[in-house]
Amino acid sequence: MHRNEWIPTVCYQCKAECAILARVEDGVVKEVKGNPLARGKMCVKGMAGITTLYSAERLKYPLKRVGERGEGRFERITWDEALDIMEKKLRELRERGEAHTFTYSMFPHSTTDPKWRFVNAAGGFISTGLPHCDSAKIMAHLHTFGCFPNHHIAPMYYTVPKGGLMILSGRHPFGCLDDACVPRDILNAKARGAKLVVIDPIFRSEAAKADWWIPIKPGGDAALFLGVCHYLLTNDLYDKAFCDKWVRPGDMDNLMAFIADKTPENMSRICDVPAADIVRLAKMCAEAKSVCIDAFKSIMYGNAMDWGHVWSILLVITGNLDNPGGQPLPEIAPMAPVTPVPTAPNLKELGYHRTGPNKDRFDHYNFILEPTWYAAQAVKEGTLKVFFASECNPALSEMGSGEWRKAMTMRDEKGDYKLELFVVTEIMPSETMKWADLVLPDQTNFERWELLYMPWWYNYGHTAALCRPVIDPLHETRHANRVMIELGKRMFPEYFAFKDDVEYYDIELSGVGMSMQKLLDNGGLWSPGTAGFRKYEDAGKFNTASGKIELEWRMYADIGQQWPSPELPLEFRRGEKEFPFILVNFRTIFLNNTGAWSQNNAQLRDPVSGLDANPVVINPIDAVRLGIAEGDMVTVASSTGQVRLPVALSERIKPGCAGLIHGFGQTMGKVAARGNWAGDNELIADAGSHLDEQDLRGGEAHVATRVNIHK
Amino acid sequence: MKQLSIMVDLDRCIGCKTCIVACRNHHGLVDHENAMPGEMSHYIRVENELTGTYPDLAEDFWVVMCQHCKKPPCIKACPSGAIAKDVQTGIVRIDKAACTGAKKCLAKCPYDVIQFDAAGNFAHKCDLCYDRVIHGLEPVCVEVCLADALRFGEKEILLMHAEAEGKALIKKRSTQSILYVKSPKG
Repeated sequence: MHRNEWIPTVCYQCKAECAILARVEDGVVKEVKGNPLARGKMCVKGMAGITTLYSAERLKYPLKRVGERGEGRFERITWDEALDIMEKKLRELRERGEAHTFTYSMFPHSTTDPKWRFVNAAGGFISTGLPHCDSAKIMAHLHTFGCFPNHHIAPMYYTVPKGGLMILSGRHPFGCLDDACVPRDILNAKARGAKLVVIDPIFRSEAAKADWWIPIKPGGDAALFLGVCHYLLTNDLYDKAFCDKWVRPGDMDNLMAFIADKTPENMSRICDVPAADIVRLAKMCAEAKSVCIDAFKSIMYGNAMDWGHVWSILLVITGNLDNPGGQPLPEIAPMAPVTPVPTAPNLKELGYHRTGPNKDRFDHYNFILEPTWYAAQAVKEGTLKVFFASECNPALSEMGSGEWRKAMTMRDEKGDYKLELFVVTEIMPSETMKWADLVLPDQTNFERWELLYMPWWYNYGHTAALCRPVIDPLHETRHANRVMIELGKRMFPEYFAFKDDVEYYDIELSGVGMSMQKLLDNGGLWSPGTAGFRKYEDAGKFNTASGKIELEWRMYADIGQQWPSPELPLEFRRGEKEFPFILVNFRTIFLNNTGAWSQNNAQLRDPVSGLDANPVVINPIDAVRLGIAEGDMVTVASSTGQVRLPVALSERIKPGCAGLIHGFGQTMGKVAARGNWAGDNELIADAGSHLDEQDLRGGEAHVATRVNIHK
Repeated sequence: MKQLSIMVDLDRCIGCKTCIVACRNHHGLVDHENAMPGEMSHYIRVENELTGTYPDLAEDFWVVMCQHCKKPPCIKACPSGAIAKDVQTGIVRIDKAACTGAKKCLAKCPYDVIQFDAAGNFAHKCDLCYDRVIHGLEPVCVEVCLADALRFGEKEILLMHAEAEGKALIKKRSTQSILYVKSPKG
């Protein structure tokens, strides 16, 4: 029995960062589980984290490229040599007045993540998973009712009342990207009398538990919900009192005019959901005690901004903002600043890092991070010269893998690589490291300090959680935060005057009357215990320019985007004959997408405890038409790329769609390289050079790309 | 009758496999350093059944572990008497020290849940976390279940809970000591 040896810390097998307990025996991590003081659950990826920690394949010491990019050949160097290389290049860049051509692609674990601090001090940009995931949704909510611009603010399912309605539109919350407790909380809400509606072209575990599964044509979400809004608004079924009080004067009248032709019948033709079902869904929304929506795949449809806008409108007209069972508007913990605080570079002045032929049109977008950004195009255009990447795998996660690889090896007139320095920090071998000049061995969550205090995903309960080392670090690994602090001390000592990351977090915690010691004594968690409800009533306003809810996006009037379009961008409506299938990229609980550490985790790629196959999934109706049988090898081709994969036939996918799990295709690491699987981004167009209208309407095109399938 | 049991609620199981990895960690079934997919022992597996045709579909998920049979064929098959049904708990246990590696139990198990350790030359399987339950803890799979789909206790008490909650016993899967329940379609 080991009941008293469980150490509270935080998981990092995915971005949800659930609070966990780790059992350490003689300096070895033996078991992990959810922390009962903070929602109490941990998913299969987290459970398998021990396998990542102790894998013989971990990156063990700093590596420097030998040979050409893409060959994946390296020699061992010291940490001092690695730091010298980074310092020299970044100083050179600053002297050339090109500091802003440095970008760090990362996932910030707090708004003051030390890596982000370094980027600001260096005058560079931060790029996060946001351009790839749900920046459009964040911007939509930000524009409409103001909110903390976080990566993802999921509904708080534990607040959904009896009679509440939970809508998942292309969302897979049983995959635990919000928090490992979410499946339980959704099932508990159902058990107390809430309804679950799942809208998805693929029938998955959520649909299996749903009261109603609505298969939809990919990209149809904006149309479907415009039809719902039409019914609510034209039948006086909306929350008039809420709208009268909080919506900016004039917006409701303009919305009524805009919505007039968005009838369920008209919208049905776009989304392929029967008009009667659109009306049924509208009635459910009107009758429900609360409505919440979560979406993910649908914000990758290429009309992500439109869908985000419709989503925001529906929440507003049903009065479901910051109420139990509605859309939460969490706040950030008031941590103390570590002064002096480096100022971020001025995006307006330096020009957005935004790439593509219509980049000037993005001047309208006002966001603390890059709205949409494509590394390949930035390298080609000379706006990306030094690239650092942590906890991401752009070789597989960037749209248009082929163009990305081309950009990494593109040379200038002198024969030098256009991307002058590419640094990757990683725990396990990754596809991206093949193109890197420096590969720095990172630490797992069992070996490092990290203070998390974003109102993150679903973690409003803990608000601040401490990831702490539970064992001594293995090999010569160093956490990326510590590497950037050390580089910061060399280059910008005024901003890095604190001793180390622990002291940095200690200063920050004073803002909530805590310290690292107090936090450790309190089980590594700090929380006010509630996220609160209807905080806009206390404030008397929403966090928008007018203080009211702004349904109409007047700043986009000149590009015709003040109201959402129900249609997909033009590029996805073309080529229906040549490319009759729509690619539906989806995710699973077993793999953290392209994350090298989960793709190289033996337990997560084990067929019994994880997932080891990535066939292209089509409906038997389509297979009969094409003369294709289960297991046949086929070519799946888009206008920009092709892959060869076996076919899996399943009733669970809507005819006309081709399902492919996101994240496969890695060739580095003996576990990840198993099987001839392919990455979906081989098929998806590089947005910088191949897409036009989609660029302006946000999001990725993972779930809208047209493909054909042949033997 | 004394029979400890796990009740699997098909209304709640989502097939996430969290229990499988937690079970492996707890029982030390994985060589984390050198493990490869397809080569690790496991005491639990997930099964699912998709029925219907698009778009009228239904799907169930459930877990299968040692069913702690009423009259275990593995006990009968074992030539060295290494397997016994514990009279205090009803748990079927393999005594590794007494096991001679004959593998007869593997062939006779109707549920295909017995594992074999080639290096140690012994058979092993789920023992309902005997070392935990005798100290008042639940089996690991029950404690970590993501969806709270598993419940542990005396079989008769679990059946009483199921009845009180209006869940029906899935008889064809509940013929031994592990119970499978689901709400009737309504």
